[in-house]
Amino acid sequence: MAGASVRPEIFFFVGKGGVGKSTVSALAALFSAASGRNTLLVSMDPAHNQRDLFETEFSEKPKTIQKALAVREIDSQYWIDRYLKQTHRQICKTYLYESAFCLQDHFKVLKFSPGLEEYALLTAFEDTLQHVSNEDVLIFDMAPTAMAMRFFSLPGNTDIWLRELLKIRNLILKKKEIVANIRNGRCDMGKDRVKDKIEVLIDRHSRLRDSFLSNATAVNLVMNTDPLSLSEAVRIQRGLTDIGICIDRVVVNKARPEDDVSPISKIFITQKLTVLPFAGAPLVGLSAMQNYLRENISSFDSFNNQFR
Amino acid sequence: MIEKFIDKLAGFWRSADAAMRSKAVDTASHEVEELEHIFAILVLGAFVGLPAPPIQITLELMTDMEHEFRLMLSKVATARDPLGELFSVLGIE
Repeated sequence: MAGASVRPEIFFFVGKGGVGKSTVSALAALFSAASGRNTLLVSMDPAHNQRDLFETEFSEKPKTIQKALAVREIDSQYWIDRYLKQTHRQICKTYLYESAFCLQDHFKVLKFSPGLEEYALLTAFEDTLQHVSNEDVLIFDMAPTAMAMRFFSLPGNTDIWLRELLKIRNLILKKKEIVANIRNGRCDMGKDRVKDKIEVLIDRHSRLRDSFLSNATAVNLVMNTDPLSLSEAVRIQRGLTDIGICIDRVVVNKARPEDDVSPISKIFITQKLTVLPFAGAPLVGLSAMQNYLRENISSFDSFNNQFR
Repeated sequence: MIEKFIDKLAGFWRSADAAMRSKAVDTASHEVEELEHIFAILVLGAFVGLPAPPIQITLELMTDMEHEFRLMLSKVATARDPLGELFSVLGIE
């Protein structure tokens, strides 16, 4: 649950593909902005539905939609290219010419490496946090389940690898020091850049993981009333619990009057439950979303407890 | 006369000490080198077709790992005669 004094508050909207994560996160962003909080809605879903919902193009640069609301669209390919270019430039600086030359071809295929897309999203998430100026609320419209789960687990998994590598590096340095001391008498080994880099990376990934677990962060699970949506929602909850992330709220979207939400409330006992009625007409365009928000303001009022 | 003798003795002692120290750490040096190979393969293994950590760890660390990168490439070159390399480390003719 979001804390009282930590700025900005972070809200993730996760869920199965097609349940309406983008719509719900756009409505939540409109509600937050209407309540007077400076809000940045960040589209992390490669499908980028926000541009269709708001009927306007977005980019990496936040675009103001209305008072207190801006939207930013994360382009993961941009982050992958930027990251690979930076790394290659750094290698050209630190490696001998022929070594750097050897690696040139490898870099052409590295952009297709598995795991790089979620790392790009994580880097973009970190960049968003670093560039917060006057935002009170950050709302992240996440990619569908598989990608979102890899995104959330990335800092923890990377941290495990880094700590193991640090152990080996420390062992190497300790033995190198013993060898140098016997050969040359007591001598200072100086700094090891690789060890320093591993420690910086551990610190960075720990901070990212902490931001997921912070009191100022809330994960909202969006779902529909159909059985497939429910079973995937249960799997998402289990997956997030395994990495220590709790779901704060379950949003049942597109609920029709005849739908029974009691099976959902029985499973998600500790989470807050918000039911958003089926819109009837497509929620496309700012005015359509604002109308829906006005008509269902009582459903959104419960978000007020989340936005402090 | 005595000073010359002491100098010679000290010189002999220094050479013997250096030789003994070098001999004493040969195995330890080899162990360090092997650990560095393991570290290099763990981080840079993707470049020689071995399972590797998440790609971002490789990319972040490889900028400072040219030494290990070269070690790994030389290891690939000596991989055809591992016994020869082991025997030379252990001083077996």
